[in-house]
Amino acid sequence: MKIGLFVPCYVDALYPEVGVSTWRLLRSLGLDVDYPERQTCCGQPMGNAGFERLARPLARRFDQLFAPYDYVVAPSASCAAYVRCFHPDLLRGEACEAAGKTLDLVEFLHDVLHVTSLPVRFPHKVSVHNSCHGVRELGLSSPSERNVPRYNKIIDLLRLVKGIEVCEPERPDECCGFGGMFAVEEQAVSARMGLDKVRRHIATGAEYVTGPDSSCLMHMQGVAQKQGLDIKFIHVAEILTSGL
Amino acid sequence: MSTRHSRAAEAYLKDDAVASRHDQTFFAVRQKRDRMAAALPEWEDLREAASQIKKHTATHLADYLERFERNATRNGVSVHWAEDADEYNRIVADILAAHNVRKVVKSKSMLTEECHLNENLERQGITVVETDLGERILQMMKLAPSHIVMPALHVHREDIGACFRRLIPDFDEIARSYDRPHDDPNDPTFLTYVARMHLRQQFAEADAGMTGANFGIAETGDIVVCTNEGNADMSTSLPRLHIVSMGIEKLIPDYASMGVFQRFVARSGTGQETTVYTSHFRGPRPGGEMHIVLVDNGRSDILGDPEHWQTLKCMRCGACMNTCPVYRRSAGYSYTYFIPGPIGINLGMLRDCHLYHDNLSACSLCCSCDNVCPVKVDLSSQIYRWRQQLDDLGHASRMKRLMSKGMAALFNRPKLYTATLRFAPLINVLPSALVSNRLNPWTYGHTMLKFPRKSFHEQWKQLKNEEKK
Amino acid sequence: MSSREEILSRLRHNTRETFDMPDLAALTPITFADPVAEFIHKTTTTAGATLIEMQPTDRLDDLIRRAYPEARSVASNLPGVRTDVNPDTVAEAQELMHVDVGVVQGCIGVAENACIWIPQQTKEKAVCFAVQQLVILLPRDAIVSNMHQAYALIQTSTDYFSRYPFGTFISGPSKTADIESALVYGAQAARAVTVILTPP
Repeated sequence: MKIGLFVPCYVDALYPEVGVSTWRLLRSLGLDVDYPERQTCCGQPMGNAGFERLARPLARRFDQLFAPYDYVVAPSASCAAYVRCFHPDLLRGEACEAAGKTLDLVEFLHDVLHVTSLPVRFPHKVSVHNSCHGVRELGLSSPSERNVPRYNKIIDLLRLVKGIEVCEPERPDECCGFGGMFAVEEQAVSARMGLDKVRRHIATGAEYVTGPDSSCLMHMQGVAQKQGLDIKFIHVAEILTSGL
Repeated sequence: MSTRHSRAAEAYLKDDAVASRHDQTFFAVRQKRDRMAAALPEWEDLREAASQIKKHTATHLADYLERFERNATRNGVSVHWAEDADEYNRIVADILAAHNVRKVVKSKSMLTEECHLNENLERQGITVVETDLGERILQMMKLAPSHIVMPALHVHREDIGACFRRLIPDFDEIARSYDRPHDDPNDPTFLTYVARMHLRQQFAEADAGMTGANFGIAETGDIVVCTNEGNADMSTSLPRLHIVSMGIEKLIPDYASMGVFQRFVARSGTGQETTVYTSHFRGPRPGGEMHIVLVDNGRSDILGDPEHWQTLKCMRCGACMNTCPVYRRSAGYSYTYFIPGPIGINLGMLRDCHLYHDNLSACSLCCSCDNVCPVKVDLSSQIYRWRQQLDDLGHASRMKRLMSKGMAALFNRPKLYTATLRFAPLINVLPSALVSNRLNPWTYGHTMLKFPRKSFHEQWKQLKNEEKK
Repeated sequence: MSSREEILSRLRHNTRETFDMPDLAALTPITFADPVAEFIHKTTTTAGATLIEMQPTDRLDDLIRRAYPEARSVASNLPGVRTDVNPDTVAEAQELMHVDVGVVQGCIGVAENACIWIPQQTKEKAVCFAVQQLVILLPRDAIVSNMHQAYALIQTSTDYFSRYPFGTFISGPSKTADIESALVYGAQAARAVTVILTPP
């Protein structure tokens, strides 16, 4: 099984440690992982802003780079969701092979590898951030709106970590207000949503907020710092490789 | 980079207490709705059935309308057809004039808001009294609805009390007849009593009652109206003339379909198992008249829109507003269309894309609305698709276009992208005044981003080499 | 072309693809092992009504008086109920606004939401809404689990809509929460409702 590692642009630029953790984690599980160096962005920021035509060449490039792999794995639920849910539409009438086999790291570990143990330890209380596209596009957890059996793949994986205490905030899957350019176009609402979310995470008594999307974590971290609120942010991949 | 929505929302959020209360009020309704959904094992099957019924009806609408008209006419009802708001207003005015109507009592109808019926009638000297308590409060305060189902929840009891004292002529007399102890002069139970007595006077005096329609049933010609207060029933039990205003998309085929929708309206909208009253009107009162005005006003054009026709499935339950994190934090008046929230963003664009495009910013694409919608309108996807059209419509934000183009230019050139990443950490050492200013919208709510010394791209080779050793 | 023709032809022209009606018989709506118990529970909790289980030895008038001892006037056209006002013969429906208690016959009770189907059986339907308090009689054996069953019964029956073209489901007293979400009974129609379950 050959894995193409997709480290989305903003993770590459701002959170390289998340990429490194993902690489280490996949390698520690004995997988053949490759990182196509000419990768950049999935196109989501332009698409959500209303410029899909600018995203189309990026989707095409993505497909060319990643089509040869058995799975494409990304430590970013929102980007994986954009590839899987939106690329087929962007590339209608063209080759689109990679989209269907692109997964977020959490679902890859949970659904494909069926990981049941991890030799890692993280003796801290963490509050899980169920990011919107992870929940409602990829199905990483059951959306709170729906009458479906309750599950949460992120929590399933975190429970494999020794010493960890896992909790969820009130309103466990309400949006944190990032939304790409939404955060700058609707800056007041976005900041308010972020603040509300951070406060709910803090109210759990957790030391860390963790989730599968660095974008949400980035947004909440910026809001928390601006407001002088004390809580740390860490990507799920980093916890799953803690001490590895 | 801002829109009329984002600026209004920013102003709204300045009052922290008001904004928090608004958010909590409507999230509480969302939670009640969740409990309703959880209590019915068949909930998701019902949503699918409701969606399919609406799709079926919308794509056979002409046949069903003819059938509905036949049955309603056989039941002794006069059926009228209005192409647009003007024709609708004219038809209603003519019916009222033919009966010398001076005062109309009216239950809640979004269609009449859409067509500005009240203003039109009042210009002709007809008194229109809204009878839904929330709508009546707004009418007296000269405010617009802030929500389609709970239109006045943003108004505070003190303001309602003051308004009643000022505008209800026999307020003191009514207050004296109230027999329950209350310390708060603006106690909601007391104010509701005052409104009850005031409105009962209106029902008794009115010459005509107007209602909307939650559903029209093609098979029988029934009009179904759901209320909690019973005001639609009061409006139609006392005056002899009943005029129904119905958007043509409110039609459903039969009683079997009605079973599905009756179970949904209240559960989705307000988190109740049912509205208190679900009334079926199949003809005029003895000695009275019943008229139904079927209104198109753009709906038949929406049917032809391949991307947005499914908005015709909407039954105006308001669930998408209650769950929308942006609506809850910006409230109804921040939107430029009279229907706010996810469905309002879409309906506004369908009404006039040049007038109402500002609302498109009011969505973080969290997709929660898609999951609460009882008829599965793909609200967030539709907002996403509208955004794709903004540039061609000439309404794209210049800043967003610039940013998107800049990003695309970078991402399409891997070498340039890699080089840029190498120099990105330089931003960290720039004076903060240069990056944290009003030209950088990110720093409005956030601290500035810190770039790491080395991107993943740069660390990658190192990782490979480590492994080789 | 008339507006009617314009609208119909535009609808036909704009229909791009047609969809079939789903098979609603395939739905498996919630049912209750004891619908009567569930109906009583819902009526007295969420619907906010009072419920009396009538015994064969009870007299209806006594039960009505016990429910509303201060009532000065009763409106009904039901046999066996002592009334002061007859909604079949009042000159104006408005007269019913000043009546303390209306008594009407319910035909179907729905356990899932405490709705009671009341087809209009009096000349003035105001007896269901305009009176201050409402008493609804409902045969114990007329209770079903859910709305699908209720609508199936209404659709197949010839008893309803034949005399008067109106019927309504009522679930408890008139309610509003329009002022700051505070739930208040008695917004506009009946301020209180008593359901009397009559023996089969």
